[in-house]
Amino acid sequence: MMTGKRLIISAAVLALVQIGFLSWIIARRAEILRDGKQVLLRVEPIDPRDLLRGDYIMLSYDISRIPVKLIANVPAGKLASDDTPIVVRLKQGADGYWGATTAWFGQAPAPAASNEADIVGHVSEGWDLSAATTIAPDYGIERFYLPEGEGIAIQNDMRVRPFGIRVAIAADGTAQIKALMDGDKTLFEEPLY
Amino acid sequence: MASYSSRVGADIARWLQAGLIDASTADALRRDVEANKRNSLSFGSILAMMAALLFGAAVLIFVAANWEAIPRLSRVAALFAIIFAGYVGGAVLKTRDHSAIGEALWIVAAAAFGGSIALIGQMYHLSGDETSALVTWGAGTALAAVALRSNPLTVASVGIADAWLFLRGFDYFGRAEFPHLFDVMAIVLFAISFWTRSRAARHLVILSIIFYLMLLFTEYETLQVAVPLVVVSALLFAAAIFAAGFVDRIVQLGGRLPLHALIGFLTGLVMIQFELAGESNNSGFAIASAVALAGIVAAIVLGGRESRGLRWVAYAGFAFELAIIYVVMLQSMLDTAGFFLAAAVLLGLLALVILRVEKRMRAPSVEGATA
Repeated sequence: MMTGKRLIISAAVLALVQIGFLSWIIARRAEILRDGKQVLLRVEPIDPRDLLRGDYIMLSYDISRIPVKLIANVPAGKLASDDTPIVVRLKQGADGYWGATTAWFGQAPAPAASNEADIVGHVSEGWDLSAATTIAPDYGIERFYLPEGEGIAIQNDMRVRPFGIRVAIAADGTAQIKALMDGDKTLFEEPLY
Repeated sequence: MASYSSRVGADIARWLQAGLIDASTADALRRDVEANKRNSLSFGSILAMMAALLFGAAVLIFVAANWEAIPRLSRVAALFAIIFAGYVGGAVLKTRDHSAIGEALWIVAAAAFGGSIALIGQMYHLSGDETSALVTWGAGTALAAVALRSNPLTVASVGIADAWLFLRGFDYFGRAEFPHLFDVMAIVLFAISFWTRSRAARHLVILSIIFYLMLLFTEYETLQVAVPLVVVSALLFAAAIFAAGFVDRIVQLGGRLPLHALIGFLTGLVMIQFELAGESNNSGFAIASAVALAGIVAAIVLGGRESRGLRWVAYAGFAFELAIIYVVMLQSMLDTAGFFLAAAVLLGLLALVILRVEKRMRAPSVEGATA
């Protein structure tokens, strides 16, 4: 049996470790929001069945589908993808939205230029890698939580006019949703904390 | 259970007075009753644990409601306060001999940790799936179990690992990988359960491993899962029966290892039967069925006397075997009337076997008591 004092001390240490861990996640996310490079991504109209689940909407981006011919380092003769990270290089188009220019499995061979940004996603195993197809990476930003009850209205609006998501991207490519945009209007802007 | 210990106390006093035992024996008995009382589940501790689980669920649902009325930083702070107060307050109560309430508070704190993970996911729109959040939550809970040497927290972390396995295992529509990580979780949690003296967690881990192997089997449809499961289970069963004392000192399952081994053995054989049932030549299926039936008989003969639970698992296995053999071997030969006849015969056979075995198992022990 643990003695009384030791038990209380280990309980306190345990609580601080868990709280510290959670605070670290918050601090890291806030840092991306504050210092990350900002890009605007177009949100695709989504199949309404998938659109609303509880109080978040599922988002699908233009860059959620990457044509295999954009991927610069597909090994010759490889038929299906591995479970791997993918780096997608983004550049701003004339309409203000950022789009994919090139992509690499694993790591990018050279850092992005100042007018470009690299976002890191994840590709699961088994995507067809023949030239005419597309693959669908996840970036960890495919969900937007809304105040209760506001999901339906936004879901309906999204299908009639373009919506965008302003994303902050950290130096290591981790993406973080910053704001939901209705055309030029900011609908929800995330505070740091 | 408290009433049991007070009853025994009265009995001991009476035996002492009647001169059946001497004072030192009476003392030793009282100490033993006192020492073992702690481990038993009292009604109060069950209620405390249920209250803790309800409160934990309330915390999680409160977070999931994404309620905007409270600024989210205050919600985070409130959850952090619950974590700290739960762990430390629980420890204080535990040292002051309110063990059940202390453990219950720890469960609340662990739930608040999970709720915080969910809330942070909401705050920053993290779409990294629920399952990875579950892994973090389970790891935090396992850490708490180790730090506080807590049986309920160990069981809770096994439960979270199972929830993860369940979500991943049945995620046919998602693109998730097969949850191979469960191997590691099971080993780690099994090891932790010795430190936290959590026999319940060990039972749960073993059953979860069998469930995991079933998922593995449905994913890959292969005998490479089923055959080792059968062999290992049979070996474990033999070890648990023939070296009972030694094996139980190692695994500390309260003599229930044969039960798990029999469940594993039958699960493996059913997998083999499913795999072979479709083949045109049914000899493989017949052999597997014969092995299953022989295994059930052997289990009852070798271990049935000591364990009623083992006998009932054996009967359930026997009933299942009868059903599966009927479906595969005979179904096409019989019409509907024949089906009812066959069902009647099989049920009658089952009843006969159970009645006979139960009678045989009971008889010698009654004689032993009267002799």
